[in-house]
Amino acid sequence: MTVIDAATSTPPHAPSASSRRAARGLAAVMPAFALVSVVFVLPVLALLLRSVLEPQPGLQNYEAFFASTTYLKVLANTFLVAGTVTVVTVLLGFPVAWFLAIAPAFWSRLLFAIVILSMWTNLLARTYAWMVLLQRTGVVNRTLMGLGLISEPLPLINNLVGVTIGMTYIMLPFMILPLHATIRAIDPSVFQAAALCGASRWHALTRVFLPLTASGIAAGALMVFVMSLGYFITPALLGGTSNMMLAELIAQLVQSLLDWGLAGAAAVVLLTVTLAIYAVQLRFFGFGRAAG
Amino acid sequence: MSRTAKGMSWIKGLALGALVVGAGLGVAAAQSNSIVFTSWGGTTQDAQKKDWAAPFTKKTGIAVKQDGPTDYGKLKAMVESGNVSWDVVDVDGDFAAAAAKDGLLEPIDFNIVKRADLDPRFVTDHAVGSFYYSFVLGFNPASFGEKAPKSWADVFDTKTFPGKRTFYKWSTPGVLEIALLADGVPADKLYPLDLDRAFKKLDTIKKDIVWWGTGAQSQQLLASGEAPIGQFWNGRLFALEQGGTKVGISWEQNLTAADMLVVPKGSKNKEAAMKFLAEATSAEGQASFATDSGYAPINVKSAALMPKDLAASLPDRHTASQINLDMAYWAAHRDEIGKRWYAWQAQ
Repeated sequence: MTVIDAATSTPPHAPSASSRRAARGLAAVMPAFALVSVVFVLPVLALLLRSVLEPQPGLQNYEAFFASTTYLKVLANTFLVAGTVTVVTVLLGFPVAWFLAIAPAFWSRLLFAIVILSMWTNLLARTYAWMVLLQRTGVVNRTLMGLGLISEPLPLINNLVGVTIGMTYIMLPFMILPLHATIRAIDPSVFQAAALCGASRWHALTRVFLPLTASGIAAGALMVFVMSLGYFITPALLGGTSNMMLAELIAQLVQSLLDWGLAGAAAVVLLTVTLAIYAVQLRFFGFGRAAG
Repeated sequence: MSRTAKGMSWIKGLALGALVVGAGLGVAAAQSNSIVFTSWGGTTQDAQKKDWAAPFTKKTGIAVKQDGPTDYGKLKAMVESGNVSWDVVDVDGDFAAAAAKDGLLEPIDFNIVKRADLDPRFVTDHAVGSFYYSFVLGFNPASFGEKAPKSWADVFDTKTFPGKRTFYKWSTPGVLEIALLADGVPADKLYPLDLDRAFKKLDTIKKDIVWWGTGAQSQQLLASGEAPIGQFWNGRLFALEQGGTKVGISWEQNLTAADMLVVPKGSKNKEAAMKFLAEATSAEGQASFATDSGYAPINVKSAALMPKDLAASLPDRHTASQINLDMAYWAAHRDEIGKRWYAWQAQ
C-alpha cells in the first residue's frame, strides 16, 4: 500500500525538489520525445487532417464511416475479437503467472524462458506455423481425423476461431509478465493472516488473493485489449474476410482503394477508442497500478 | 543547476534526436548509380531479376535493387511526399490506367523504349507491358479423381467438385468476370459488368471461398489441397509444375491482362529507369522471362527467340476462347467496384 501512496500523493512540504527532479528528467527524455514527435505524432496529425480535408473539407468521411453497415460491422468485430482474446488470455495466463511465482526456481526459470522465447520469435513465423497447424489439411485436423474423432475437417482457420487462437498465443506474455510481477509482490503472510482470521482456502483466494491481483489483471488486460484492437498480421492471415478487423480495413483503404480520407477517419476512430479505454483505466486504477 | 546548463541539455537532447532521424534519411538519399525495381516477389520477381536486371547491370553498370511487394498506397505516398524511392514498379493494368489519370506516373520516353516492337494492347503513354498473363482454372488432380473441371461454371459447382475454392482477394479485373461467365453471360456481353448478377452468383459459394492475396499463397493453397480448385495466374501453375507438383489446368475462357511497368512521378533516376524499361521489354528480355516464368511476352519479336515446345504452354497459344479483360472499363469504375467489392467481402 505504501508504494501506491507514494505514487499518487506528492508530499506537500517538498514541491521545489520534486519539480527540479522532474525538469532534469525532462531533459533526458527529450531525444525519445523528439523521435516520437517526428515518427509518430506528426504522421498521426497528418492523417487526422486528411480525414477532415480529403476529398473536401468537412466531416463526410466520418459520416461515411458511421453510415456504412460494413464499417460498423468491422468496428464491432474488432471489439469482439479484442474482447474474446483478452478474456481467454486472462483465463490461460493467470494460472501460468501464479505458477511462475510459486514454483521452485528451476521450473519457474524454465517456464519463464519458454514464455520469453515465444515472444522473441518472429511474429510472422509464428502465425504461419499456426496456419500449418490449423488448416483443413493441417496437423490438428489430420490427427483428429486419424484418431477417428471427427469425419470432416474442423473449420479452425479463416474464421474467428483461428484469429482467437493465433492472437491469444501471441498476447499471452503481455498478460503473464505484469500479472507475475503483481503476484510476486504479494506478501505470502496475508494468507496466513486470512487463515488465522478463519477464512477457508476458497475465501482466501476470492476475498484476499484475487483482489490483490486485480491491478495486475487490469494492467495485463489493458495491454492485451489495446494491442489486439490494432492488430493486423494475425487476423489478416488466420481470419476470413468476414472477420475483418479495423487495421485490415485501414490497410485496404490505403493500399487498394487509395481513399486516405476515409482511412484517416477509421484510424482516428481506432485511436480515440484506444485513448478512451486508457483514460478509463487511469481513472479506476491510477497510473502506478496501471503500470503493474 | 543554472538555467543555461539546463538549456544546454535540452539542446543536446534535441540535437541527438535530430541526429537519429537524420541518419535514417541519409541512408535513403545515398543511392546514385542504381535503381530500385519493385515487383510482387516470389517466382515471378526471381525471373525478372535474372532475365532483366542481371543483363541490364552487365550492359550499363547500373545496379538494380529489388524491393517488394508492390503497394499502391506506398507508391502514392512516395509521389505525394516527393520522396520517391522506387524507380520502376510492376503494377496491375487497371492501376496503371488509373494512376496515369491521377498524375502519379512519369510519361514513358519512347526515344529509349522501342514502342513499335510492343504489342499495342499493352503499351500506353505512361506504362509498358511487363508480361502478359491469363487467369486460368487450376485444380489439384488428387482431389477429384477421374473428374476434371473444365469451365468456370464447374468452379461454382460444389456438388461435383467439393472443397474450398480460391480466388484473388483484391478488387481487380478477374473474379467478377468469372462469376458472370459461370452464370452464363456470353463473353462478348461481359462489359459493362452486371455487378448485381456477379455478386449474386458469388454469394452461392461465398462460404466455400478462401482468398489468396499473393501468388505464392495461391500456390500453397492448391498444392496442399487446402483449396483444390480456383482461379490462378497461369505462370504460378507453370512454376508449380516445374517444381514437380501435379497440377490440372483448363484454358477454357482464360482471361488475359498484362502487368504493366511504370515509373512513379518524381523518380530520382528517371533516365536509368527508362533504360531499364527498354531492356525489360526488349525481344531478348521478354523471351527469356517468358521461358522462365510461363507468362507470354509483350514484345512481338520474342516468340521467334523461344523454344518451340515451350511456346505451347503460353497464354498466347490459347486464344480460341480467350477473353481480354477490359482495362479501360476497370480504370473508369475502379473506385466504385472496389468499395462494393470490399463491403461484400466483409459482410
